[in-house]
Amino acid sequence: MDWLVITDHGSVTHAKIGVEKVNPDIREARDAHEDTLVFQGLEWNIPAAEHGTVFVHPGRHEVSVLKQFETDYDGSVKGAGDSTPANEALAVAGLSFLADQVKRRKVKDALMLANHPARKGIDSPHEIRAWRDATSRGHQIAVGFEGAPGHQAAGLPKPLGMGRARGIYDGSPGANSFPGYPLESYRTWGGFDWMTATVGGLWDSLIAEGRPWWITANSDSHQVYADTAARGGGDFNANGRYDDPVYAGRIDVTQGDFWPGQYSRTHVGSDGFSYGAVMDGIRAGRIWVDHGQLISGLDVRVSGGGRWATLGGALHVRKGTRVTLSMDVALAGGPNWAGFTPKLARVDVIQGDVTGTVADKDTFTAPTARVVKSYEVNKDTGTVRLTYDLGRVDHPVYLRTRGTDGNRSAVGALGAKVDPAGPAIDVVGDADPWRDLWFYSNPVWILPS
Amino acid sequence: MTPLSAHYAIGIDTDATTLREADRLLQGLAAELGLPEDVFGCTHLVRDGRPRVALSLAAEAVAAEPVLRTARDRLTAQGYEVRDGAPDEAGRAVLYPGVSALTGTLTLAELLARSAIDRVTVLGTPDEPAPDARLVTREHVRPQWRNGHLVLAAMPAAGGTLVPFEDPDPTPCCADH
Repeated sequence: MDWLVITDHGSVTHAKIGVEKVNPDIREARDAHEDTLVFQGLEWNIPAAEHGTVFVHPGRHEVSVLKQFETDYDGSVKGAGDSTPANEALAVAGLSFLADQVKRRKVKDALMLANHPARKGIDSPHEIRAWRDATSRGHQIAVGFEGAPGHQAAGLPKPLGMGRARGIYDGSPGANSFPGYPLESYRTWGGFDWMTATVGGLWDSLIAEGRPWWITANSDSHQVYADTAARGGGDFNANGRYDDPVYAGRIDVTQGDFWPGQYSRTHVGSDGFSYGAVMDGIRAGRIWVDHGQLISGLDVRVSGGGRWATLGGALHVRKGTRVTLSMDVALAGGPNWAGFTPKLARVDVIQGDVTGTVADKDTFTAPTARVVKSYEVNKDTGTVRLTYDLGRVDHPVYLRTRGTDGNRSAVGALGAKVDPAGPAIDVVGDADPWRDLWFYSNPVWILPS
Repeated sequence: MTPLSAHYAIGIDTDATTLREADRLLQGLAAELGLPEDVFGCTHLVRDGRPRVALSLAAEAVAAEPVLRTARDRLTAQGYEVRDGAPDEAGRAVLYPGVSALTGTLTLAELLARSAIDRVTVLGTPDEPAPDARLVTREHVRPQWRNGHLVLAAMPAAGGTLVPFEDPDPTPCCADH
């Protein structure tokens, strides 16, 4: 792990005690592990919505900023969980507060990434757009969401695992959920959230607006699958924490999480090894994600007119310029944490038009997005270079890529013309995450003028 | 109205915020009022600024109308806000003809034959499921009214079976995660 974010859930107890209490441990971890950047953050109960990861650049005020943020803007602390306009406004206000702390240099930087957005259907499209637009375009605070949730071991079948839904996506529509979301959205697809997995879906509808919105993949690691340690007892409400873990004397297969980095990875193109550089890289969208160490490197360049852009970027060209996508994929080259070397079967390129700001903020489809090219790779070592010729580009478009071990494919949620061989809906109680590996990259825009 | 052919329906407002609460309320009311099995009892999601789950009771047969009128009077006397008509046409059916016969594992053909469910769809595939496909009911089968038809959404499950989309015991929000 080069970098990780350590958070805990927002709550009255956490705001009062936990946020301060954990900080010395985090500082100690920073000193003890010089090759790992350890951020402190909060798993924010976004008012009116799901959870979100909020984290700040380390510094003198990291605790006070996080503490004030949680006290004033956490949905659980403020009793602001229900999907009401007032609560939605509180979420936006929280993001403004963070932007303000950065502006006043209380912390050098802050970021928010929404977690498991489709899990309970309560992150409506208009709320996601509101988080994106809550802060200035010059320094956006809410920059994306999980493309794939954590809890990836939760679908391992009994008796091997807990036999629940992959990602613990076992919900269904409720009073707080957005009425437009179909039932399919409440389950994972190839381990990924429906908003991201659906070609031409919600994520594509955001990218089509030409505004930054990135995906990550995280462990959401609370209690680890097959751990021999168990949570210590103790009084959380009094102490702001549980006691240190104890030896349980057995292997716990009733848990659904992997260790950070064990299965889910978020790779950031960072201009140096520093907290600021990683946060800059995240804000810039130089991010790709993978499961099970499916690949070991990805270098995406979209070039034309003598220039090039990479993930998260925009290539500006004269109208009619010939544009090419070139991606160097470094294959796994060695075993993952399940002990085998994954083979990359196939890579897809997805393309869509940039259609501009939507009129209806609850839009969650992008009708022009579809898989435009697929490559058979079938390799587990070395590097492959894949290229895709967009021809002469005369209107704004974007590209994004994904790849798979090919074990589970199905027609995408929006039909075969859009996605003939995409991720398959995960089977509840029978979803071995090691047998269904995907990588996804963030998009690149091509903007002719 | 829930079923288009419903002869009479009532909508009941509640303070329930979860489906589980609403189900228990509905099942409790049905038992208390002695409702016959041909009455449809549904939940409806209300999103008018105070998110909650409302209920409806509806009957197709003319004969059941007096039962519902009595139910309406008794609910009103108990302090519930009751109106004519269901809150919307997309109710999630908890009580319906045949529900008590949907136990264990059944083929889809059996499920359709035993209950008022009109159709089963399977998420994640455009194909119609085979009539001999096996569905593990988990004793929790909640079809939904869609355009006047009672439709059960199902999901692929272990061993080539199907399960109803709705999990009987979903992970509670925010408890430990």
